[in-house]
Amino acid sequence: MTEPLLELRGLSGGYPPVSVFRDVDLSVNADEYVGFFGPNGHGKTTLLKTIAGLIDPWDGGIYFAGKRLNAEGTMRARVSHNFNYDLFRKRRINTRDVVDAGLIYVMQGNLLFPEMTVEEILDIAPRAARSRPGVAEMREQIHELFPRLRERWSSKIRYLSGGERQMVSIAAGLLAMPRLLMLDEPTLGLSPKLRIELSNAVRKIRETGVPLIIVDQNVEFLTSLVDRLILFDHGTITREIRAGDMPDHDQLMDMMFGGAH
Amino acid sequence: MAFDTFMFILMSGILLGGLYALMATGLAVVWTTLGVFNFAHGTFVMLGAYIAWQVTQSVAGGFGFMIAVVLSILVMFCLGFVLHFALIKPFERNQNVVLLAVISTLAAASIIENSVLLGWGPRDKQIAPPIGSKIDFFGASINTFDFVILGVALLTLFALAVFLRRTTMGRTLRAAAQNREAAELMGLNVPKLFAITLGISAATAALAGIFVGSLRFISPTFGADPLMKSLIVVILGGVARFTSPIYAAFVVGIAESFSAYFLGLYWSPALLFAMMIAVLLIKPEGLFGHRSKTL
Ligand SMILES: Nc1ncnc2c1ncn2[C@@H]1O[C@H](COP(=O)(O)OP(=O)(O)OP(=O)(O)O)[C@@H](O)[C@H]1O
Ligand SMILES: [Mg+2]
Repeated sequence: MTEPLLELRGLSGGYPPVSVFRDVDLSVNADEYVGFFGPNGHGKTTLLKTIAGLIDPWDGGIYFAGKRLNAEGTMRARVSHNFNYDLFRKRRINTRDVVDAGLIYVMQGNLLFPEMTVEEILDIAPRAARSRPGVAEMREQIHELFPRLRERWSSKIRYLSGGERQMVSIAAGLLAMPRLLMLDEPTLGLSPKLRIELSNAVRKIRETGVPLIIVDQNVEFLTSLVDRLILFDHGTITREIRAGDMPDHDQLMDMMFGGAH
Repeated sequence: MAFDTFMFILMSGILLGGLYALMATGLAVVWTTLGVFNFAHGTFVMLGAYIAWQVTQSVAGGFGFMIAVVLSILVMFCLGFVLHFALIKPFERNQNVVLLAVISTLAAASIIENSVLLGWGPRDKQIAPPIGSKIDFFGASINTFDFVILGVALLTLFALAVFLRRTTMGRTLRAAAQNREAAELMGLNVPKLFAITLGISAATAALAGIFVGSLRFISPTFGADPLMKSLIVVILGGVARFTSPIYAAFVVGIAESFSAYFLGLYWSPALLFAMMIAVLLIKPEGLFGHRSKTL
């Protein structure tokens, strides 16, 4: 058996002092599309931000391609009104290590860089790729995936629609030459037409060979796309569903809320 | 008023404007990127001038003006780079970072000023200008070097703008300024980019300081005026665009020059503050823009 690409072991975290997710165990293989589904505010974004190294994990381990990304041990939260502990508090995970390893996170509702043009952003995006090859080919593919972006090439992000911003975010994530891409609610707030356009693009990303973790509230979108659906509730994984027995919207609601919705 | 007098006053105003533009842009770039006001900016101007002055002295080898400029800029860039880690980075997670940075940069200003006083003494010094000739400009006799200063100041600002817009490095600086988290997710080293920004700001301050030092006398306390003028310019012009403080700098320079002639030297700060308050009341986001914080 090959070892998983991403593995979480007993991962806990949150915004001190508020704990948001606890004891999350997960492994994702190198050829998998994994979907996350769960109610609003139950910690999906917090989990992904922790994996991406934006927030320090409290406990547990994040392993990517056989390497541990976060520091060993449990975080001790020290807060004092008399002393600035930030001065020598070391981060327990470094975003740049995560990015260097090829684990790329595309933020939820990402404003990106409001005063920069699409062209400028896609120019600096491959910086995250460092030594990973294939950026030139990926640029070609991005033009095929998101033909709409070409028309907006020199517009500032501020003037783009939500869907177009999402496309730029995903395109920038792809230019980082990810070994695993995490998309956080890519279809949030999009019109049905844009949503179809975007889900087609996400489907096509599979052909580029990039595995995905994708969080979304749209059941049809998720179930048609992923190999495995993970139900996330109150900060833990409550259930995993394989491709064969994907539920429809109503069944899923029953599973999550016991029919009480 | 005779036309040649008018031209002379106008030209001194434009020269002042060029210097203020250089100083204020350094302050504005730090404000839009790091999100703090650097109250040590005036002492950067002063220290840059002292370093250049020292390099031209015979004890230090008596190097020429150009070498003094290059050395001073390099030293000040490094100082700015290092000071980010001492003055701003330790507080960046604190929600009161703006206030804390006011205090830490004020402290740095005081330390730099007193170190200069200890090292170089209180006596006025002047950097010998490399060009002494004058030219006749519409009847007014203007130093050739004034035109050089104006040209170099504007060219430096233009080069900085091109660097920020066209080069990948400059674009990563703007990215870090606009969305820190997204920049980190691109694998950018945000603290280093912020330190580079403070370094660039200190380097432009040094250049402005050298020019001031070759026009007037320098003393350890002369940084107060550049700091005040830069603040007035940044508040007056706003930072909606890279060019907003530059326009405002010329408005302030020309206003100062004319008020010094008509009202006397002592009244020009009062006039500038009155202008600033008027602008704050009518158009709080600054004269030349409608957004508050961009780069
Ligand atoms: N920066 C923050 N500081 C403190 N608490 C936060 C912060 N961001 C989110 N939270 C809290 O953490 C909890 C989990 O939020 P999170 O954004 O992870 O949920 P989510 O599952 O992604 O929800 P959604 O589906 O709405 O995106 C929420 O209760 C939220 O209020
Ligand atoms: Mg979320």
